[in-house]
Amino acid sequence: MDQLHTLLVLFEHFMVLSLFAVGGGPSMLLPQMRQEFVLQYHFLTDRSFTELLAVAQATPGPNFLIVPLIGFRAASWPGAIVSIVAFLVLPMTLTFFVGRLLHQHDNEWVARIRRGFRPATGGLWIVSGIVIAMATDHTVGALGITLGVAALSLIVDISPMWWCLIAGAAGAILA
Amino acid sequence: MNSDAPKPSLWDIIVAFTIVGLTSVGGAAGPMRHVTVVQRHWLSESELAELYGLGQALPGSVVVNVATMMCDRFAGPLGPLAAVAGLVIPSGIVAVALSGIATRLAASNPHFAGVEVGITGALAGVFISNGLRVLAALWSEAPDLRVAWRCARVAIGALGIVLVIGLHLIVPVAMVVLVVLSILLDWHLRGAESTA
Repeated sequence: MDQLHTLLVLFEHFMVLSLFAVGGGPSMLLPQMRQEFVLQYHFLTDRSFTELLAVAQATPGPNFLIVPLIGFRAASWPGAIVSIVAFLVLPMTLTFFVGRLLHQHDNEWVARIRRGFRPATGGLWIVSGIVIAMATDHTVGALGITLGVAALSLIVDISPMWWCLIAGAAGAILA
Repeated sequence: MNSDAPKPSLWDIIVAFTIVGLTSVGGAAGPMRHVTVVQRHWLSESELAELYGLGQALPGSVVVNVATMMCDRFAGPLGPLAAVAGLVIPSGIVAVALSGIATRLAASNPHFAGVEVGITGALAGVFISNGLRVLAALWSEAPDLRVAWRCARVAIGALGIVLVIGLHLIVPVAMVVLVVLSILLDWHLRGAESTA
């Protein structure tokens, strides 16, 4: 696939994906990103996908940095720029106009839509977790980390950053 | 917005959101609140909460949506672009640079590869428990509802797992199915409430 075609695929797919980043944010789209960019287009392997996920999580920045990272892996800097622009342009445009429209108005229907998303959000968080675990947990130790964090973070509600720190150290020892 | 305070310029916005981007680890919502409400008094706590609620109901990153509405009110249409440039460009460059280093380290050092597996493994666990928390809240937050309806709310969430993992439906399609189902249910329950 030549460079221009790769850029077009990135642009089109991230643009469509962005419209479905509702309720719980971009993390819910990780299974879909893997489906499209790893399994369908082979822009990157499962190994690099989980690596980029770890980098996006461990470096400072908004949680959708996985988007330009995938773009960079597929088509260097042009890929990173095209991907992030495609991912942001439609939601920002929509929010810009809705924000102006609702500035003066009461917004009861906003509460209604938000309530409607919540059951979907709950299920799709779990789906995201399972799909990432299937892509990354190839050893008993790794699976243990996922299940352990899932159980412990139900009891101890601390920032995900701490779990990643602890699990990163555990991963280094187990490897 | 605070009408007595001077409105931030485009440059102020770029600087503020660069700080937000570079201090965000595990989500930018906390740093955005700290920089705009606590440090700079650009808007009040409740104004931010209102934008946050709206930002959650629209597609896209919540933080980007909030920044878009906030900075449009401060500086017009260029405000949102300045905010996103500050939020994404510096942290994006850092992330791309680190991803290159990470690949080289992981190839040469199995312990570093282990760190990566640990982090993503933990992330998967965090997502699973986030989901379980939401489902548990759906159950416990409506004690006045009949048990059958509370089951239905949780079942819509659980259906997502069946649709995507079991039936291999793509996430956007599953999302539409679930949202339509849950809005219908919400509609029905509100209707029942108001006639009761």
